[in-house]
Amino acid sequence: MFVFSGAANRALRKGKAVEIDLLTIFTFFLVSGAALWVFLLFGRFLRPKNPTPIKQTTYECGEKPFGPAWFNFNNRFYIIALVFVVLDVEAVLTVPAVVVFRKLVAIGRGGLAFLEIVAFLLVFFGVLVYVWRRGDLNWVRSLEPPTCAPFDAGTKEEKP
Amino acid sequence: MTLIERSPEGAVAIGPIDKLLNLARKHSLWYLLFGTACCAIELMQTGGPRADADRFGMMFRSSPRQADVLILAGTITYKMASRIRLLYEQMAEPRYVIAMGSCACTGGLFQKSYAVVNGGDLFLPVDVYIPGCPPRPEALLEGLLVVQQKVAAEPWLKKIQGKVPAKPDPALPREC
Amino acid sequence: MEASEIKKRLEELLSSELVWKIGEKQTGDGWVEIPLEKWTEACRLARDDEKLLFEFLRALSGVDRPGENNIELVAHLFSYRHRHAVVLKTKVSRENPVAASVCSVWPAAEWYEREIFDLLGVNFREHPDLRRILLPEDWPGHPLRKDYQQPASYRGIPTSRPAPEGSAS
Repeated sequence: MFVFSGAANRALRKGKAVEIDLLTIFTFFLVSGAALWVFLLFGRFLRPKNPTPIKQTTYECGEKPFGPAWFNFNNRFYIIALVFVVLDVEAVLTVPAVVVFRKLVAIGRGGLAFLEIVAFLLVFFGVLVYVWRRGDLNWVRSLEPPTCAPFDAGTKEEKP
Repeated sequence: MTLIERSPEGAVAIGPIDKLLNLARKHSLWYLLFGTACCAIELMQTGGPRADADRFGMMFRSSPRQADVLILAGTITYKMASRIRLLYEQMAEPRYVIAMGSCACTGGLFQKSYAVVNGGDLFLPVDVYIPGCPPRPEALLEGLLVVQQKVAAEPWLKKIQGKVPAKPDPALPREC
Repeated sequence: MEASEIKKRLEELLSSELVWKIGEKQTGDGWVEIPLEKWTEACRLARDDEKLLFEFLRALSGVDRPGENNIELVAHLFSYRHRHAVVLKTKVSRENPVAASVCSVWPAAEWYEREIFDLLGVNFREHPDLRRILLPEDWPGHPLRKDYQQPASYRGIPTSRPAPEGSAS
């Protein structure tokens, strides 16, 4: 396995496109997982185990815990998550674009590749502008009260 | 081959595996990020760049589950004493307590006050006392090194096998 | 305004039949004593009246006087706009220490009154959150009273430490 990866390294250094040996990656994951288990196993035999009821109470900075641990999240985080997902997709897809367009660059049409990437980014720039203008990037979107139908308090009745 | 380790209580003989395990433990003493009064400022500075506690492997942890050492930094009021006791109970063994500063050692300047506990050792088992008001970061480091010596001299294998049981001090309240 | 003028203004605002005590020292602010039943009203007038305008409650504290069998509440007031200061005092009986809260006049009084409740035992009517502020909730007694005895232990923690050998104490 290490001989294979050595060959792959030498080929990479010479500038050739090379397929990394899948066996290398698999072994890497195996070894890291096994290392984790070995350390945990050491811990299991080398640590004391004295559970007491007080020790297992929930940590709340020294206060006695009360109430459930679930609470309402601010729904502004929903907007933040949506905007993040969209822009994150953009970031993630831009990075491999360089690799994908290598072929275009190789045949001398690098300008076209550049224009394609810029067009892609412009679409997402439009997304950003829309979100920005709408006010969704502010924590408090608007301090004015929302407009709705005028309140009808009814006619005042005469006192008898 | 047994090796002699020096502890503050005197010379103690422990085995080589104990020595190795204690070496690992003593160079990774994580202290709870906790402080009540002015000594906490000095504690922060001890973790700072000048008197670096991190070079000894000591980092601050916010959760008592991950902490080895509880440093009582500052004046302890009765209101706070219940919380500190709960924090100590929530720490996982092995755990050590350092009373830093005169307020945590004896109540210090505020000993006559109705609201101040006259020393951390009235409700916690304290391992090391560091006098000072506040003790300099170097003094706190010295105290932490004394804790390291204590750790180095512990018969660790016997402890985890349960042959040396940890005896809670009967004079201390179990819960307060 | 001078302290005597402040006193005259307060007399006008509340009523002129009451007996007022005022003492003037060479240094410090003059103090005006207010009957207990007019405590909140007087504080509100002191804050709102055009000539007084005491919008700042500097401190509110209590004094235990077992000799006169009362607890005195002392409020130090200051006016930023008129740049004058005064001290308003009132006396609460020691057997039944109840006073009206001035939290509706100055919200800062909340914690001051909690402290007076904690350390002297004065109950404040209409206080939004009257509980102990320094000592634990289940502490017996009120420490700043002159007849207070420190309990020997609290929840298992002894309250005193034996003096070390060889020391004079």
